[in-house]
Order: sequence, then structure tokens, then C-alpha cells
Amino acid sequence: MDRARRLEHLLAFLRTIQRPDRPLDGVGEDESLVASGLIDSLALLQIVAYLEETYGIDFSARGVEPEELRSMRSILDLIERDAR
Amino acid sequence: MSASGSLRRLSQLHEDEAVVAWWQARTRWLAIHLDAERRRVLLSLAALVAAAIAVVKALPRGTTTPWLVAPVAFAIVVALLYACYRAAVRFATLPPAVRRRPQMALHAIFWCILAVVWLVPSSAVLVAVGTILPFILWRCGYLLKTGQRGKAAGTRFVDHLFYLHPTWGDANVPIGKGFDYLTRHEAHTPDAFARAQLAGIKLLVLALLWSGVQWLMAALVYGEARHPLTRALGDHVLHVPHLEELLERRGTPVPMLVAWGSLYVELFREVLKHAAHGHLTVGALRLFGFNVFRNTYKPLLAESIVEFWNRYYYYFKELLVDFFFFPTFVRRFKTAPRLRMIAATFAAAFVGNMYYHALNQDSLILHGDVDAAWRALRPRLLYCLLLAIGISVSMLREQRRRGGATVPRGGIARGLRIAGVWTFFAVIHIWSIGANASFTHRTRFFLMLLGLA
Repeated sequence: MDRARRLEHLLAFLRTIQRPDRPLDGVGEDESLVASGLIDSLALLQIVAYLEETYGIDFSARGVEPEELRSMRSILDLIERDAR
Repeated sequence: MSASGSLRRLSQLHEDEAVVAWWQARTRWLAIHLDAERRRVLLSLAALVAAAIAVVKALPRGTTTPWLVAPVAFAIVVALLYACYRAAVRFATLPPAVRRRPQMALHAIFWCILAVVWLVPSSAVLVAVGTILPFILWRCGYLLKTGQRGKAAGTRFVDHLFYLHPTWGDANVPIGKGFDYLTRHEAHTPDAFARAQLAGIKLLVLALLWSGVQWLMAALVYGEARHPLTRALGDHVLHVPHLEELLERRGTPVPMLVAWGSLYVELFREVLKHAAHGHLTVGALRLFGFNVFRNTYKPLLAESIVEFWNRYYYYFKELLVDFFFFPTFVRRFKTAPRLRMIAATFAAAFVGNMYYHALNQDSLILHGDVDAAWRALRPRLLYCLLLAIGISVSMLREQRRRGGATVPRGGIARGLRIAGVWTFFAVIHIWSIGANASFTHRTRFFLMLLGLA
């Protein structure tokens, strides 16, 4: 899967966990998802679960670094680096 | 401009471009001569001084040859820090079992050193080292995490020393966390340095303000006899008893209103205490260019338990999340999302919280006295249990809310939510406050609050 497809897939997932009163469309790829109000810190856990299930990333070996999940770009970078 | 607008502008003065430019112009020499690299070196030298002072303070009373004992203990502490740094730098070459569970390995070594301290209790050197260990333990933990992520390779000891035994703060909780977090928030341009410093000054002013409020509370609310204002105020003080004092009365009846009043005032005082202490530490960090988050951020306005927990003592919460929550979350119950979250929450708020506080017990650390530590920690067991349940329920509710569940809006509904959070934390504090009262007396006091005892 190329980066554009992964972004599309990620956006579809984020729509399922975003706060209902915040639109996803205005959030830039580099913008902090938590600071933009799109998701809260709890939703980071769901992002971890999504990355485990979809890309087989094993966080038990590398640990969770919330900074790597802060924006869509950093999540895509993480996928490129660690996806099986 | 309205009063609230003026107040907001005043509180955001450190973000005002004109103020930033003014500050930058006056501190240009500082930014030039004290770049990020030099600041770290300076802080590392200060860390060595702080470690030396800590060693001298940790020597047992009556040590007859401190001039010999202190340097040896100091050398051991620095050697331990260096060994941890080497382990982080060469993380990839560590034995597989250590690479898989670096924190477990670190804590195993910690307990082995303590076992030696217990076996040779007469050694002043070992007692001093044992006293300092809990202070550096969690910081070394963050260093190993850096190593685990491969970010320690190529760094020098001086890049880590400044936070391994920091000059700022005196808590075992690593305020400012470790290398990854600090370097991510480090100012590298004169503009960013000026902004960090202004934000630091703001926090230091707030720390002074909250300390002042505590000082006034001691007279106006508590009517403390030794306070210089109490006598001057005469009958115009509330004379609310300290919660600690009520618990130590051990079952003596107290009017219910007084007991509830004491409980809420104690929560307010605790928040002020944490805010003042945290602001001082974070303010100092920001003055040196590390523009990190506050330790306490308006917890009394939190509308849920999990929000309060996040805002009350941020770096302690982060410690529990980094060392207990995430490791459990990524390893256990992956196929059962709710159970997974609850298990991780219990690992952090219950197990981690208890373990952290066990390591703060001198009786356990220095003498291996499990009985004494258990007696001191027993009430906290219920506190941690209630906290873990409260956070779990709150997290599940927040998730449901995110999923589209409606939350009643409006001032009254919000006020009720805030009051609920205050009540929860004020009540569970009965079992965590450092009072000379047993679990039974604390529980009896709680029942008395409900009119049941």
C-alpha cells in the first residue's frame, strides 16, 4: 500500500474515533490531532490498536511514544518504518 | 477592552510579540553566550553539585568520617548513572532478556543493591547510596526508554546527566521526564529561548502567588496559632480543622459540616501545594530553555475524573502511564478492548501507584522493614483501588461520549460535574493523606461523613 492509500485508510479510521463536534477536513497532515481538538488522549489508545491490527506493528517490543502518534504525518512515518 | 479580556492578555503576556521582542533585546547576550549546548553543560555541572549535596544529606546521623564516606558514596552514585547511560547507548548489544524487559532489569538491579544495603546496615556509604536510589531510579528508567528507541546512540553522558540527578525539584517523580521529552521541548533559537524564559517567569510568579494563598489560608481558614496573621485577625478566622488532625482524633465525633468543610478545603490546599511546587520546578526548567508542560493545570475545573488526574500531577501521571499503563496495554488482552483498557488502568493507578509509594518508604528502602512499610501503605491500598476504579469508569464514559453520547451542557450541569470530581478526589484523599491514623480510623471517618458512624 502506498502512502496516499495509507493516508486515505487512516482518515477513514480517524473519522470513526474523532470527537463528533470537530470536523476532520480542516486538520492538516502535520497538525497535532490532540491539540486540534479532533481526538483526545484516550483516542491515542485506539490508534495504537488500529496500528497493531492493520499494520501488525508490535508496540510491546518498541514501546508507545505518544509523540509518534501526534499527527497524521507522524503516524504515516511510523507505519512506513515499522509496518510488517 | 473588558476586564476578562485584560486579564487574559495579562496571563498571556509571555506570548505577546512586543514583550517577547523586548525580552529578547535585553537578554541577547544571554542567548548568545548560553546556547542549548552550554546550558546542558552548565546544568550537568550543577547536577554533580546537587548529587554531592544529596549524598552529604543522605549520610546517616553520627557518621564520623563524612570526608571519606561522602566522596565514595558520590562516586558510586555517579558510577551507577554512568552504567545506566552506557546500557542505553549500547542498548542493541544488551542480553535479549534485558532488551525485552529493560525496566524489569533496572528494578531487579535496584532491589539487589538494596539487598546489599540491608545486609550491611552499618555502612554509611551504602545507606547514603540507598537513600538516593529512589530519586534516580525513574530517571534512569526514562534513559533506558531512550536507549530502547535507539535515540541514545551517539549521545554523550553530559547530554543525560542534567536530568538524571537534576538540580530542579526534589521529588522522586521526574518532572520534565527524560531525554526524549526534554530535548523535544528544548529551545534552539534566541526567539524560542526568550519565549521559554518568559513562560518560566510567569510560572514562577504563579508559584509565588499560590504559596501566598497557602500562607493566607493557614491564618484565614485554618486559624493556625503560630501564624502571625491569626492573632491580628482575632475572631475573623474560620478555624477549619486540618483533615490530618481530624483523622488523628481517631473516632472523636466531629460535626458533619465541619468534616466535609475540612475535606474540601484540604483538596484545595493540596492542589495549591502541588501547583506551587510544580510551577517552581517547571518554571526553572523553562528558564533554561526547556519549554515543557506544566505539572498542574487548572485541575479544579476538570469535569471528569480522568481529566482531573491528567491535570493535577501531570508528571506523576506520565510516570504511571509510561512505566505501567502502556507496557500493560500493548501486552495484555489485545482482543478485548475494554478489558485491555481497564487492566492497563489498574496496572498504572493501582499497582504502579502502590509500587511508587512503596519506594518512598525509608523503612523499606533502608532497612527492608516490610511490616512498617505495609502499615504505612495499607490505607493507600484503598485509595489506589478507588482511584483505579474511578479512572476506568471515567475513561469508559469519555469513550462513550466521543462515540456520540450527549453530555448535558449549561452552567448548572457543568457545575455539578465539577462538584462530583471534587467530591471524589476529596473523599479518596482520606486514605492517602499522610496522617498518623490507621486504615480503620480513616474508614470510620468516611462513614461519619455519611452519618453512618
